[in-house]
Amino acid sequence: MALLEVENLQTHFATLDGVVRAVEGLSFKIDAGETVAIVGESGCGKSVTSMSILRLIQEPPGKIAGKINFRGRNLLDLPDVEMRKIRGKDISMIFQEPMTSLNPVLTVGRQIGETVRLHEGLTAQEAEKRGIEMLGLVGIPAPERRVKEYPHQLSGGMRQRVMIAMALACNPKLLIADEPTTALDVTIQAQILDLMRDLKTRVGAAIMLITHDLGVVAEMAERVVVMYAGRKVEEATAVQIFGNPQHPYTRGLLGAVPKLGSSLQGHGRTKLTEIQGQVPSLRQRIVGCAFASRCPIVTDVCRQVAPAVEAKTPGHYVACHYAERAVAA
Amino acid sequence: MFAYAIRRILATIPVMAIVALFVFSLLYLAPGDPAAIIAGDQATPADVDRIRISLGLDRPFLIRFGEWAWQVLNGDLGVSIFTNLPVTHMISQRIEPTLSLMSLTLIFSISFAIPMGVLAAWKQGAWIDRVVMVVAVLGFSVPVFVVGYILAYAFALQLDWFPVQGYTPISVGILPWFQNLALPSLALGLAFIALLARITRATMLEVLSQDYVRTAKAKGVDQRAILFVHALKNAAVPIVTIIGIGFAGLIGGAVVTESVFAIPGVGRLVVDAILRRDYPVIQGVVLMFSFVYVLVNLAVDLLYTLFDPRIRY
Ligand SMILES: Nc1ncnc2c1ncn2[C@@H]1O[C@H](COP(=O)(O)OP(=O)(O)OP(=O)(O)O)[C@@H](O)[C@H]1O
Ligand SMILES: [Mg+2]
Repeated sequence: MALLEVENLQTHFATLDGVVRAVEGLSFKIDAGETVAIVGESGCGKSVTSMSILRLIQEPPGKIAGKINFRGRNLLDLPDVEMRKIRGKDISMIFQEPMTSLNPVLTVGRQIGETVRLHEGLTAQEAEKRGIEMLGLVGIPAPERRVKEYPHQLSGGMRQRVMIAMALACNPKLLIADEPTTALDVTIQAQILDLMRDLKTRVGAAIMLITHDLGVVAEMAERVVVMYAGRKVEEATAVQIFGNPQHPYTRGLLGAVPKLGSSLQGHGRTKLTEIQGQVPSLRQRIVGCAFASRCPIVTDVCRQVAPAVEAKTPGHYVACHYAERAVAA
Repeated sequence: MFAYAIRRILATIPVMAIVALFVFSLLYLAPGDPAAIIAGDQATPADVDRIRISLGLDRPFLIRFGEWAWQVLNGDLGVSIFTNLPVTHMISQRIEPTLSLMSLTLIFSISFAIPMGVLAAWKQGAWIDRVVMVVAVLGFSVPVFVVGYILAYAFALQLDWFPVQGYTPISVGILPWFQNLALPSLALGLAFIALLARITRATMLEVLSQDYVRTAKAKGVDQRAILFVHALKNAAVPIVTIIGIGFAGLIGGAVVTESVFAIPGVGRLVVDAILRRDYPVIQGVVLMFSFVYVLVNLAVDLLYTLFDPRIRY
């Protein structure tokens, strides 16, 4: 049984000018200890997906439907109390904005300690000790001193380390990292990624890694889910995605394909390349293939019939009528 | 922090000096001959001369101010023209009801308004939020004396839950003291509650949309702790600021409230003094209220550093 099984997830937002279908029928799995990358252009629903898993979407205006099975339990059916026990303990999250994600008026130690006090019932002293331990673990020098400091006394990289310390304090089964390095400069990015990889082996957590950065994907991920307009268009191992991309959108993203395992600091580092055309509006029901309006190999079928997600080879799923042709092209 | 407190306390000295200068010149800013004003319409020229000499009006302004200021620093606010009693004595006789009224009003206001604002922000758009906002608008737009009469009519005259007016010293007993002050404090506090609830709501709404609140939720923190630990502490600085600023309004309101509820406090004292043109009393009371106001805002400034570690001076 997979650790996390997202089935036909639909997250919609009621807005003044219509319903925004931010995530529309998304399914994927994450196994224990596995690192899965979610990639796609800005606005394709990556953050909404991760927030839906932890049920951090404000309802209303949001509405989550489908199934999110975590260790066999559908999170969407859990009462709030049960859900709170999972947040921060079994599933924890790191956010994109280290500068604003920590509470400015509470000490770092208090914020890390709060998690373990909540979930493990530690006393304040024990929690502070754990805080110091965790700060040491994420490589912050002089943790005994830092634990008493406030976020504004730390650099961006250090704050993200604190976020990681907080996220890992209760040994989660799944760590959701929403663009954990985007806001950091390149050398710090590499350090943070190294740290995550290192801690992952130590803690044994699975990671759902959301990123724009194909270099990060190549470096970190075992499997990749490519999203477009709230849907999954392709899913495969990292090797398959980089070596044999099937969906025209994935191929577009890869524009200049980085070599698998290429170093972050090296020349292989590649951001998602721009693809011509506009993402379809999420406010209207999309008929046919969501990518049709921008696809270089589009045909009439594409505009009328939405392609199903199908396995082209074992473990390699593509939602395209012309997947084989795309390979040949 | 300590050094800052000292510096901040020293900084109140020039402020108080300017206030004192202003208070002292009150008498001389009024048009006409101060001695004639004080003496009133029926006074003979001899009376006016006597008053002029007793006030030392024949000497230069700055010298008189210096003398007066020196006296004030030594705890002497002069003698009432009407009763011939020392002003400090008159104030100290009347201070307890006023301090009681203001303290109870502050306690009421803070303990009603902040939970109201927090609740409204949390349930933004829901009926509870609307109720709070309506109360806030009403509370702010109805004058103290109207609220006072309505409360007195409903809860004292009709329901007979509270005395209609008067004051019982706290030494007689906490309960009668409280019963006498409950309605006046509510009447005086309503506008303050309204203001404070609105500011709390607005600030909390802003804070609740911050990334760190999302982080707290993602950690499994429950709603109560999110509101009162993670969010409220961040909202504290604007709220405390408004408490400091609103305090001035409270002073003015206390004067009216004491009249409405016949509370023998400093407010009544100053109203009577104004009617009798008892300038030394007016000066003494205004000076005292100014001093209290400066102290409250000093406390507010010092509280900032307690609530927000980023504020360093
Ligand atoms: N509360 C909301 N109300 C309405 N629409 C929303 C809301 N939250 C998200 N959306 C919409 O959902 C879509 C997906 O947003 P999401 O933040 O998941 O994108 P993303 O893939 O994370 O993008 P980025 O890479 O820029 O972070 C966007 O079109 C966004 O406008
Ligand atoms: Mg995002």
